Parts: sequence; structure tokens; C-alpha cells
Amino acid sequence: MLKIENLHVAADGKEILSGIDLEIPLGEVHAIMGPNGSGKSTLANVIAGREDYTVVEGSVRWRGDDLLAMTAEERAWAGVFLAFQYPIEIPGVNNVYLLKAGLNAKRRAQGLTELDAMDFMALVREQASRIGLEEDFLARGVNEGFSGGEKKRNEIFQMTVLEPSLAILDETDSGLDIDALRVVAEGVNRLRDPERSIVMVTHYQRLLDHIVPDVVHVLIDGRIRMSGDKTLAHELEERGYDWVKAEVGGA
Amino acid sequence: MSIAAIRTLRGRAWQIYEQMGMPTPQQEDWKYTDLGRINAALGDNWWKPAVPERSIPSLGADQLEALAIPDLDAWIAVFIDGRFQAALSDLPEGIDFAPLMRLVIDRPEQAASMLEVDKRMPLFNGFVAVNSALATDGGVLLLKANTVLDRPLLIRHIATRSGTAHIRHSIRLKERAEAHIVEHYCGIGEAAGLTNTVCQIDLAAGSRMRHDRIQMEQPCHYHIGRLSVTQARDSQFESHSVALGAALSRVDLSVELAGPGAACALNGLYLIDGRRHADHHTVIDHAVPHCTSREHYRGVLDDRARGVFNGKVVIREGAIKSDTAQSNANLLLSPFAEVDAKPELMIYNDDVKAAHGCTVGRLDTRQLFYLRARGLTEADARQVLTFAFADEVLASLKPAPLRRFVEHAAFSRLFHEEDAEEMLT
Ligand SMILES: Nc1ncnc2c1ncn2[C@@H]1O[C@H](COP(=O)(O)OP(=O)(O)O)[C@@H](O)[C@H]1O
Ligand SMILES: [Mg+2]
Repeated sequence: MLKIENLHVAADGKEILSGIDLEIPLGEVHAIMGPNGSGKSTLANVIAGREDYTVVEGSVRWRGDDLLAMTAEERAWAGVFLAFQYPIEIPGVNNVYLLKAGLNAKRRAQGLTELDAMDFMALVREQASRIGLEEDFLARGVNEGFSGGEKKRNEIFQMTVLEPSLAILDETDSGLDIDALRVVAEGVNRLRDPERSIVMVTHYQRLLDHIVPDVVHVLIDGRIRMSGDKTLAHELEERGYDWVKAEVGGA
Repeated sequence: MSIAAIRTLRGRAWQIYEQMGMPTPQQEDWKYTDLGRINAALGDNWWKPAVPERSIPSLGADQLEALAIPDLDAWIAVFIDGRFQAALSDLPEGIDFAPLMRLVIDRPEQAASMLEVDKRMPLFNGFVAVNSALATDGGVLLLKANTVLDRPLLIRHIATRSGTAHIRHSIRLKERAEAHIVEHYCGIGEAAGLTNTVCQIDLAAGSRMRHDRIQMEQPCHYHIGRLSVTQARDSQFESHSVALGAALSRVDLSVELAGPGAACALNGLYLIDGRRHADHHTVIDHAVPHCTSREHYRGVLDDRARGVFNGKVVIREGAIKSDTAQSNANLLLSPFAEVDAKPELMIYNDDVKAAHGCTVGRLDTRQLFYLRARGLTEADARQVLTFAFADEVLASLKPAPLRRFVEHAAFSRLFHEEDAEEMLT
């Protein structure tokens, strides 16, 4: 289970997250919704181990491990995966090399032997074709010259190869057309498993038609203001976030 | 022209050196490169040849093998401590590749034109004068019109002892001839020595040359190199100048685009660590209209290493429709590493296309985080990004065995050998 308690996070001396409490049991898919600038990406990045933020207070535990005490790579080895809102281009670093290095580092950390090159390529080809990435994408630099939609597909492709136990998807739906959205949703749904938790950050309910969440949380101004089932997403779509603010009477 | 005339010419060159001396940091072109280290290591008579005339240094077959470029199918000329080694060389028949010493005897006229000291030469300095005065060896290659050298010519320069190796190469391609030259500089042992090399290249109309200069000398060695290229109409010149070794190295590369339609592409990489110093000065002279120049140099500086890049591009008044683009990017891996980078565009007419860019930076923290979030350790992520940065320059090296060799030499210096291997596949 992912257990976040009283998490306060600041950047550049400004508080962005102001006391997040969140529990996501194994096997569940939770959506985190909220307006732009409410702190969704900050939360996702802090869980994944980005160092530009200061954790002022609170804890983040994943299956008992204290994530905040671990480096970003150690979290990856413990099963954490972040699909970035804005995947960065890394010219000259081969896509497949990145995956192989990442996967083998994780396997080493888990005391497993490294995957043999043939098995690895077979796995990569299968997942790439499922997600609709052409083979020549594999040989290119990481996200180099990819369109917005291709970058998002690439994130999901990496996720299906690395098979994380905690997947955090930060606005993976934005910039995708309907077909791409369906492919991405299928990729995520295939990953649903009693041993995994999935966090979906979004501010539209569009994606949630394809990946039905167990719980929906609303994040506004750095705090979870409301939680509910999948119908909450529809309600938000209709009534907007101001309604939540009025309802909880805060901020 | 007689041997005596050559003696006179050499005497004059020596006089010029005595007047000029070694360059000093007071000279604009040498502001960032202090040669005091060479004096300290080699003394005032730094120019003393490493090998007395007529003695032949030797190197074991296994040592030669260990320094070779594996799988590179090439013609080979070997110079050990500045002396040509005919027995170790493998040169094509019908190709005029004569060691300078023999040329002085057989064709003094040609030797004289090669050793001519011309103070108007871009970046002329005392090292060139000393080279003219003292160089006894070097390769002279002349390719007749329409001939294509079927394999690259690999010129191996191996330093094994203290003292200076003065080497003078001259390569001329006649009309539409084609050649690929690889100058490899390496060495063994701990003796402090100096390589002082001058290579003159003359490209006739429509000829094409690839020229790769790979310097990976020992950490105790010093390297002063020069490449002067003159290009006639529609000729093409593509070069890579790679500096990985030596305690201090300086390479002056000048290209004169002297005929319309001539094009050059200069690539360079300096990747150094420790207290090494690598200086690249380039001058591209657009003397006539309709020429193209491209320049792309990158630097990777670790520890207390210091890099210098100075790229001058001159576009003369009459050189309309000139097209030039220069870029220099530097990556500092340590807080103590340093680089002095200076593009210098001197454009004397309006009808030109000119672009340049120069950056000095550190590894991108967002890229580092992305790689670490995928499971790479911080050290690995740094290696991968550094490799990717530098390989932008090396990726255009051909053929594959040469590229692989240089990549290995570059990255095994910074990384564990097996990691370098992984990234290269
Ligand atoms: N690294 C950072 N440094 C300073 N401010 C930041 C940083 N990251 C985010 N912020 C600020 O924190 C707030 C929340 O941003 P973010 O987490 O990206 O929101 P969301 O993903 O919900 O749109 C914004 O006001 C943003 O400008
Ligand atoms: Mg966001």
C-alpha cells in the first residue's frame, strides 16, 4: 500500500503541498484530479524522488519502505514508476539502452540475474507493437523528435516493459487523440493487478472512461479536499472545481 | 634547387625561431595556454630531437599491436619518435608517399616548397619555424587527378621517449582525387616528450578529403599540432580533431576556401580529465564567393582540466554568398574544470549566411532525474549523458572500426570499460 501522511512540500521557499494524506491499497487504481497549479505534478514528482523539492514534513511509505529516505533510482528498483507529464528529450541516449539499463539495474537490486539480450529484445518488441510504437522508435534517442502523443506512448511503453508495482501517471491523457487514448488505456489496464497500485493524475475525466478508478481524490491548493468513487469525476466535469471549494468551505 | 639551398632555408627558419621564440601568454592567440609547462618538462632546448639522425628506434611487435586501431583496413605509415619506419609501413604501390628525408635528396625542389616558412600563414608561430628548421621526417603524398585512394591512409605517430619529434607532412590531391587520412598520435612510457607536427594539405578543384586527427598521447607528453588546408574550386574537406591525451595539447587548424564552391566541415572533440589542457584554435577563411563552412566542436572537461576553443571565421569583402555555421558546446563535469571558448566572426560583406553558437554548461538535472527515475544510478546517468553529449561529434567518424576505437578511447577514460562497451552497442 502507498501511505502518505501529512506531507508538506515546498519549492523556492514556497509551500506547494500543505498536508497531504492519502492511502492507496494494493490492487487499486486511484485518480487525482484538480485544477492547474494545484500541486498534482509536485506530488507525483516527490513520490518518484525528484530533488528540486523540499519535503518539509510528513512521510511517504510504499509497501513499508520509507520512500523519502531513498534515492530516485532506489525507488525505481522498489517498483515506483512515474510517467512524466512532460517527458524530456535526451538526444543521443538510445531508447532501448535506457530500458535495458533500467530493467537490469532493477533486477540486480532484486537479486535477480540480468535478462539475456535476446529475451529482452523479444519483450521490448512485443510491448512496442502493443502500444503502437514503430520499431524505428526503439533505435532513436529517448523522446528525440517525438510528437507529444509519441512521447506519451513512449512513457506507457516504458512502463509496460519495466512492470512497476506503483505506477504514477501524470496527465498521460493530455495531448492524445481518441485512438491513442484507447491504446494507452489498454496498456494501463493490462497492468492492473492485485499486487499493483496505480495513481492517475488528470484534470479531465476523459481518461477515466477507459480506466475506471476505484477512488477519485480532488487536490486543490496543495490539499486533498474531497474523495469519492468514480461518479465524483463526472460530477467534477459538470460542476467544476469551484463547487468543491464551496462544498468544503475552505481555501 | 640544391641540398645547400634547403640548408639555407632551414637556417632562415631557425633564425625566425630565434627571433620569435616560443609563443607567450602575452600573445592574443596564446592567452590561455601557458607553455611554461613544456619548458619546465623539457628545458630550454625543448626542440632537441628525440632520436638522433639516422638512428632507428624500435618497438616490439606486441607493443605496436597494442597501440593499433583494431580492424581498421588501411594503408599504414609508421613514425616512431618522429622517424619514419619503412619496414613497419604498408603503402600502396604507384602512390607517391615519400618520407621527407628521401625527398630532400631526390627532389629538393619539392622538399623546399614543403619546408617553406611563410610568416603570413594564419596562426604562424615559433613552433612552425622550428619544424621547418628541424623536421627530417614526414609523409609526402601526392594523388594524381581522378585517383581515389582505395583505403584510408593511417599515419601512426608513436612517442616512446623524451625529446621532441618534429614531423612535417604534405598531402596534395590533384583534380577530383579522393583520400581519407587518419593521423593517430599515441605513445608508451613515462618520459616527457613533445610532438611538434605540421601537416599541409592542398586540395585541387573537385577533390575530396576526409581527415581525422586522433591525439591520445601519454599524460606526460606534450603536443603541438598544426593543419593548414588550402581548398580550390568545389573541393570538399571534412575533418575530426580529437584530443584525449597529453598533458598539454594545442592544435591550430586553418582552412583557406580559395575557390568558389569549396566546402569544409570541421568537427572536434576535446575530452580531458586530471590537469590536462587542450587548446583548439581554428581559422576558416572565406576568400572567395560561394563557399560553405561548418564547424562543430565539443568539449568535456573533468577534474581540473582546462579547455580552450577559439574559432575564427573570416568572410572577405568579395566573398558574397558565403555560408558559415559554427557551434561550440562545452560540458563541465567538475566544479574545478574550466573552459575558455571564443567564437570570432569577422564578416566584411552583407550577402552571407552566418550562424554561431557557444555554450558552457553542466549536466541537465531534468535529464538526470528522468534516467534515475527509470532505474539508472546517478553515476550511470551521468555517464550516459556525457557519452551522448560527446558522441554527437564522434558519430560521424567513418569507417565503423575507427569510430568504435575512438569512442572506446574516449569513454574508457571517464567510465568503467564494460559500461562504455554497453553504451556503444
Ligand atoms: N520546482 C518548482 N519550483 C518552484 N515552484 C514550483 C515548482 N514546481 C511547481 N511549482 C509551483 O507549484 C505549483 C503547483 O505546480 P504543479 O505541481 O505543477 O501543479 P499541477 O500539476 O497540479 O498543475 C505551481 O504554482 C507551480 O508554479
Ligand atoms: Mg501537472
